[in-house]
Amino acid sequence: MAVDHAARLLVPVTQSVTLRPTVDYAIEQLLDRREGDAESAVHFVFVAPWRAGDPDATVDREQATDLLAQIETWAEYDLDSVDVDPEAVEITTAVIGEDDYLFSPADYVDLLSEYATQHELTNVVVDPEYSLTGQTTLLQPFEFELQQRDLTVEEAPVDRPTQRGRLLSRSSPVRFLTLFGVSFLFYQVLGGFSGLFDIVTGAATALIVALTLSSVSFYRDPTLQSSPRRLVRGVIYIPYLLYEIVVSNLVVARVILDPRVDIDPRLTKIQVYVGSGLPLTTLANSITLTPGTLTVTADDQELYVHSLVPFAREGLFDGSLERWVRFVFYGREAARFPTPRERGDTEVLQEATGVDATAQDGSVIADGGDESATANSSGERTVDDSDESATTDDTTDTEVTE
Amino acid sequence: MIATARIGLIGVCLALGLFFTLVSATGVIRLPDVFSRAHTASQADTLGAGFALAAVALTLGWDAATVKTVLLLVFIFVTNPTAAHAIARAAYEEGVEPWTTGDERR
Repeated sequence: MAVDHAARLLVPVTQSVTLRPTVDYAIEQLLDRREGDAESAVHFVFVAPWRAGDPDATVDREQATDLLAQIETWAEYDLDSVDVDPEAVEITTAVIGEDDYLFSPADYVDLLSEYATQHELTNVVVDPEYSLTGQTTLLQPFEFELQQRDLTVEEAPVDRPTQRGRLLSRSSPVRFLTLFGVSFLFYQVLGGFSGLFDIVTGAATALIVALTLSSVSFYRDPTLQSSPRRLVRGVIYIPYLLYEIVVSNLVVARVILDPRVDIDPRLTKIQVYVGSGLPLTTLANSITLTPGTLTVTADDQELYVHSLVPFAREGLFDGSLERWVRFVFYGREAARFPTPRERGDTEVLQEATGVDATAQDGSVIADGGDESATANSSGERTVDDSDESATTDDTTDTEVTE
Repeated sequence: MIATARIGLIGVCLALGLFFTLVSATGVIRLPDVFSRAHTASQADTLGAGFALAAVALTLGWDAATVKTVLLLVFIFVTNPTAAHAIARAAYEEGVEPWTTGDERR
């Protein structure tokens, strides 16, 4: 590593799990190389994924500014703890690239090297988890491009938490055999069990499938005891799901076809307890499959669900789908579980922008499993509905609490 | 007698499938924003395609191909909510605010 006048660092930053150690490392490097050279500086640079004119840029910019402020605090803390004259080290933070469209790693690098030249920075410290706005796999080309532009690049040698294993788990003989069996059977069903040719080609196909995908298809080993039971319980679940789908289809069909019935859409948040992975996917997809409720996004076990009509919202808060999914994956005991409403895990994130917002509030967020309260609230709602159809307020600011 | 009943049933299934697809199309036009439209778009896939495939299965009778129609339905039921969710999540992450009662119609 060049020791001569290397005490000028450029650190591109984004929100990442290894950001803190990267800042530590950058400061450490800076102090190590400072010998004699008075002018040492470190620049933490946030490359803006937004454009200056974007409608949502303010929120993103605020987050970036907060992040940079946080980094500056960390860096100052690091300097304090090693007892160095704080005047000797210059810490700068910047947001760049608001006026550029950035597509490839090269675009990012152009921007960064331009910045480096302007500020006479020679070395780049890269956070190993640094990602170019969500494109996580592009770090190598990114570092390569930086080196092409005469910058000394090094990746901060930090311990990254192992969090990549969520999708890619290891394979095992059981998984391999299960996947092979299922693929082979599926192939035979499609081919209509029609003889030797199908068996040979099916085996070859299933082998390829099992070899390539057995490491991503399971998140735990299938076992002879629990897997068939789950399968059977899943089959029991299907008629119930179909019933739910038919009922809510009819409700939504009525709302769409009957001009007298208004929709009353709200974004809601609901905390569920089904376990991550396949159970959560099953629940989220079941919710989406029943018209009237739509899983917008999932934050661990917190589902953001968009609901079209109060009927669908009540059904969601009653949590029958959640209980069924618990039944499918964990058995009958697990299905005896309080509803999200009883647990108080439901939240309506939007208010009607009409005038009687307070009345709305009481009727929509029903807390407690009290029968009379629910009956009361639904009665209230029908009144509200007729009111709402008359109110067309021209204020359009919808409140979305997060 | 049984044959007539079967043809009648096929007709009913087709009519219902068409009805729900029509409702879904109407909904996409009538509803105000991307989120509420995603609700109704899933209707065409669940009951619309569901009844249509049921009609197909009835027409084919007990046949290897009937199994495939059931499999088709299974795959539709897995992929349809995934696609609807992908669209809704994309809209949400782009910062599209869901339309709610009292907002102006867009």
